[in-house]
Amino acid sequence: MSQAYKGPLERIDETSWRIPKSARPGMRVDGIIYADDVLIEAVRQDQSPEQVANVATLPGIVKHSLAMPDIHWGYGFCIGGVAATDPSQGGVISPGGVGYDINCGVRLLSTNLTLDDVQPRIEPLIEKLFKTVPCGVGRGGVIKFNSKELRRIMADGSHFVVDKGYGWKSDLDMTEATGRIEGADPDCVSKRATERGHDQCGTLGSGNHFLEIQVVERIDDPVAAKAMGLVEGNVSVMIHSGSRGLGYQVCDDAIKELRNAPRKYGIELPDRQLVCAPVESPEGRRYLGAMRSAANYAWANRQIMTYLVRKVFAEFFETPAERLGMSLVYDVAHNIAKMEKYEVDGKMTELCVHRKGATRAFPAGHPELPDKYKSVGQPVLVPGDMGRASFVMVGQPKAMDSTFGSCCHGAGRLMSRGAAIRAAKGRSIQQELLDRGVVARARGRHGLDEEQPEAYKDVNQVVDVLHKADISRRVAKLRPVGVIKG
Amino acid sequence: MKPFFELFDHTADMGIRVRAASLPELLAPAGEGLYAVIGDLEPGQTAEPLTIDLTGDDAPVLLRDYLAEILTLFDRDARIVTSIEDAVFTEHRLTATIQTATLDAQRSDLHREVKAVTYHGLDVRSIPGGFEATLIVDI
Repeated sequence: MSQAYKGPLERIDETSWRIPKSARPGMRVDGIIYADDVLIEAVRQDQSPEQVANVATLPGIVKHSLAMPDIHWGYGFCIGGVAATDPSQGGVISPGGVGYDINCGVRLLSTNLTLDDVQPRIEPLIEKLFKTVPCGVGRGGVIKFNSKELRRIMADGSHFVVDKGYGWKSDLDMTEATGRIEGADPDCVSKRATERGHDQCGTLGSGNHFLEIQVVERIDDPVAAKAMGLVEGNVSVMIHSGSRGLGYQVCDDAIKELRNAPRKYGIELPDRQLVCAPVESPEGRRYLGAMRSAANYAWANRQIMTYLVRKVFAEFFETPAERLGMSLVYDVAHNIAKMEKYEVDGKMTELCVHRKGATRAFPAGHPELPDKYKSVGQPVLVPGDMGRASFVMVGQPKAMDSTFGSCCHGAGRLMSRGAAIRAAKGRSIQQELLDRGVVARARGRHGLDEEQPEAYKDVNQVVDVLHKADISRRVAKLRPVGVIKG
Repeated sequence: MKPFFELFDHTADMGIRVRAASLPELLAPAGEGLYAVIGDLEPGQTAEPLTIDLTGDDAPVLLRDYLAEILTLFDRDARIVTSIEDAVFTEHRLTATIQTATLDAQRSDLHREVKAVTYHGLDVRSIPGGFEATLIVDI
């Protein structure tokens, strides 16, 4: 299946490349890929640029079909893809532009613990987290919810679980959309989806999901870092997970339901994984209601894991989590579609912004930001790999003009899972990570092999591109010291 | 043609390639391929048989839908397919009775979670001596 992209990629400047809409019939707008000279060579190695071009054919697409520098081959949309459609112009919503793991996202907790406090005891701390936070295939949550409560989770997201005692009120302000996107309709979620998700709230999952203990290695923007409570040398905790089986099934149901929608609405598609319907259609509204319900479930999922992490730290260090300074820095969704306003042809227009493997990156002053970040901009959390680094960035005004307020979501995968397993043969990735100062535990046999650092692009390069492009700016670099994987 | 499956690489996900002499015979190796992605799965106690009855636009979509059914069975109920009986698989309809068992978690080795069976790269085609199908699953 490895096929290099042979189509046009025109250099715009040192951080962006264009696929002109003349590249193929049906493209309504240009494709724009953010990458430098090195990253673009990796991009050419698969069909992800073709997917950027495919997305450019969607009805109602506005300005450009975009891809962030962590772009790689997905299904329907590429991973790292961003597209906005105008519902008033027949703009569509596509479940393939959100992905199966609806509201897969990242959150970051700060602490006032230093590396010296944590490193001597990192192994037992990681063991305790590994035992407490359910991870891996088939692991149910430790906190159970009945079907009535599950509906409340889908309707109210983090608000419901925080009200139940699984978090702090301040967590809500530090979560995108306060952890509850408006317009969720649990009636649009199938019985099968709720059955798949009923005991998975508060579980990490597997694949690239992780829970990581990190140290703030470097501060690049002291003002923003101060606002975020990030201090050089202090320890932070990053959680990466999504909407688990509930979200996967919502997406699967939607694609099935929308199979005939393109015919019904006269939409020609180059890839059936791109099935879509007008936002303002019964099918589109139904998907939005279900997708938002799954998004709320995902925020509740990460909130419950936050509760478990704080509990572990409090017990381990025999100090209440509040005194350990375990505040939520921020929580961002990176697989979602949201209604947001942008200037189009000089007029503020409500658009349906698809982010599939892309993070919202609003600048200072944006009305949706909490007071704490009004003057500095929204924290953008960019996990790298478990051996090198992750970054905290902050949204910039140019993101509103160029990328519909969006930034990259991670390093981006470079190596297939099979290739990573083959590359790990005869090696112990766990030992190699330990040699780099990272204690790692994984549930699945191949978990660490598949997720080895070399399987990913260098996050430093990815982040550099968007920093140079002034889409978002570096605030802090985080180095992993302990990780648990599913 | 002996039913056969192999896994192939896809950047972040995994692909399953299946060959068999007939469309109905694709079902068993496709299911084995899906399970091979998830791990080394061992059956435990025999569970209720299940009737599959799917309609769709074409054979690739029906095969995908079949795998989506058994993925849900695994994810929701921790049950796996042990045999397939009376399978009828035509261009627009797929029916079968599947015998199932609970997963023996102690004896199984779970590698990774499959989120979904995608439509990306989905294909069923006629080849000399039978059929070949390709599917990509989301990890």
